[in-house]
Amino acid sequence: MAAEYALRMGDGKRIYLTEEKILSEIEAGSGNAADLGEIPDLSVDEIDKLAQILMMPGKAVSVEHGMEVPVTHDIGTIRLDGDQGNSGVGIPSSRLVGCMMHERAFGADTMELGHIDYSFKPVKPVVANECQAMEVCQQNMIIPLFYGAMPNMGLYYTPDGPFENPGDLMKMFKIDKARESMEHAAEHLTRDTVWVMQKLFASGADGVNFDTTAAAGDADMYGTLCAVEILRTQFPDMYIEMGMAGEMVLGMHGELEYDGVRLAGLWPHEQAPLAAQAGANVFGPVVNTNTSKTSPWNLARAVTFIKAAVEASSIPCHVNMGMGVGGIPMLETPPVDAVTRASKAMVEIAGVDGI
Amino acid sequence: MADIEGLLHEVADAVISCKKEKVLEAVEKAKAEIPPEEIIEKGLSAGMNQVGVLFERGKLFLPHVMIAADAMTAGVKLLEEGMPAGTQEKKLGVIVNGTVEGDVHDIGKSIVSTMLQPAGFEVHDIGRDVPIRSFVEKAKETDADMIGTSALMTTTLQGQREVIELLKEEGLRSRIKVMVGGAPATQAWADKIGADCYAENASEAVAKAKELLL
Repeated sequence: MAAEYALRMGDGKRIYLTEEKILSEIEAGSGNAADLGEIPDLSVDEIDKLAQILMMPGKAVSVEHGMEVPVTHDIGTIRLDGDQGNSGVGIPSSRLVGCMMHERAFGADTMELGHIDYSFKPVKPVVANECQAMEVCQQNMIIPLFYGAMPNMGLYYTPDGPFENPGDLMKMFKIDKARESMEHAAEHLTRDTVWVMQKLFASGADGVNFDTTAAAGDADMYGTLCAVEILRTQFPDMYIEMGMAGEMVLGMHGELEYDGVRLAGLWPHEQAPLAAQAGANVFGPVVNTNTSKTSPWNLARAVTFIKAAVEASSIPCHVNMGMGVGGIPMLETPPVDAVTRASKAMVEIAGVDGI
Repeated sequence: MADIEGLLHEVADAVISCKKEKVLEAVEKAKAEIPPEEIIEKGLSAGMNQVGVLFERGKLFLPHVMIAADAMTAGVKLLEEGMPAGTQEKKLGVIVNGTVEGDVHDIGKSIVSTMLQPAGFEVHDIGRDVPIRSFVEKAKETDADMIGTSALMTTTLQGQREVIELLKEEGLRSRIKVMVGGAPATQAWADKIGADCYAENASEAVAKAKELLL
C-alpha cells in the first residue's frame, strides 16, 4: 500500500493523501491559477519541490538557511487583545505592550499600531489619541512602527455613511447612481486617509499599512491608490505598504481606471505594478483558500499566482499568509503544519520578499 | 427554414453583451420561428449562464450581471406577452435567500439572488444579518420551496444549522429544501448539518436549485 501523508482540506479538516494524489492536486491547483490569471503553470521542478515540502515528516518545517525573509504584521495588536471571536487570543494588554511583545518576543521585523475599529474612517474623531499612542510606542521601540488600518470603503455607504448603498441601488437596477455613489465614496476615502496619515506621520509613524485594499471592490482600490499617490508626494521618505483583500479586484463599479488600467478583475500580478506606480514601497498580494479543496491544490494555486506577482512587481512583495489566505486553511487559529509549509513554499518557490 | 441554432445563439450573445435593446431585438426575431420555452431555455438562460461564468472569471463585473439579468427579464416578458393566458412560463419554485444573523456580507448572496431570478425562480431576498426566525417566517409567508442561507465567516456558519433546526421544530423541514453557501461553507459542512445542498458560486446555486426543485 502506498504511503499516505497527513495534510488538510481548505477548511482545516485532516486528510491523508498518497504522493501520486498530492502531485495530481498540485498540478490541478496550479493549472487553475494559470487558467484564471493567464500566467505560467509551475514547472515540473517546482511541482516536485512543493510536493517535497508538503510531504516533509516534521509537524513544523522552515526555510533553508540564508532564505529567511522579513515578517511584518497587520491587524495592529488585536491578535493579542481581541476577545470577540476574531483572530485575537484575549490577553488583556495595552497597545504599547502589544507592540513591544511583537518586537521583543515574537520576532516581528516591523510592527503597526492599529485602532480597535481598524479602519481609517473611525480613526478621524480619535486621531489625537492615536497620535499620542504612536508617540509613546515610538519612544519605546526600535523596529519600524507603521500605522495600519483598512480602507474599508463600505463604511461610506448607508447605513454606516453618507452615500447611498450601491448594493441597494444595483438591486433596483440604478447602475449609474450606484457608480456615482462609489465614486463619491472613493473621493472621501482618499481624503480621510490622507488626513489621518498626515497627523500620524507628524507623530513619528515610520510608515502606513493599507490592509485589505479593495475589500469593497474596484472603487475601494481606486480610492486607496489615489491616497498612496498623494501620501508619496507629500512624504517622499515614508514606507507605504499596500496589502490586498482578495485575489481578484471585485468589479463593483466595473469601469474605474488607474493609470489607464481598468481595476476590476485584476489578479495579483496585474495589481502589483499599479501599487508601485502609485508610490507604494511594499505590495501585499493575496490568494484566497478554497475550503472545499485540499491543501496541495490550494497551496499550488497560491504559489502560482504569487510567483507571477513577484515576477511582475518592481517593489518587494510581502504575501498575506493567515486564516484563509496564502494556501492556509480557513481556521481562526491556523494549524502550524499548514502555516509553516505554506510559508516555506512561498519563500522557496514563489520567491516572496517577505510575509 | 430559419437557422434555429443561429437565432438562439443570437439571443444568448445579446444577453452576454449586456444590452437590453439587443436582447429584445434578438428575442423579437427568434419568436417568429421558435417556441417561447425554447428561446428562454436555450437562448436567454444559456446566455445568462455564460454571464455567470464570465463574472466568476473576472471578465464581466457586477453592473454587467445586473444589466444582463434585467435584459433577460425584459426578454421573458416580451415572450410572455404573445402567449395565451395560463400558458405563461411557470415559476420553477419559490426561494427565500438571505445572509444569516451576525453576518453583514451581502454581495455574494445578492449575486445568487440575481442569477436565480432570470433562471425562472421566484426569489425573496431578505437581506443580510437576518434573524434565524425571519428565514422561516418568510418561507411560510411565501410558501417557499427552498431557503438559501449565506455565511461568510466561520463564526456565523452556525446560523445555517439553526435555520435547519428551526425548520424541523416547525415541522417544515420535509417540505422546504435548504441550500448553504459562503466562503467557509463546504459540502462536508452541508452534510454535517443536514442541508440539501451546498453551492460554491452563483452558477452552481442555479444548477443545484434546478436539480432539487424540478
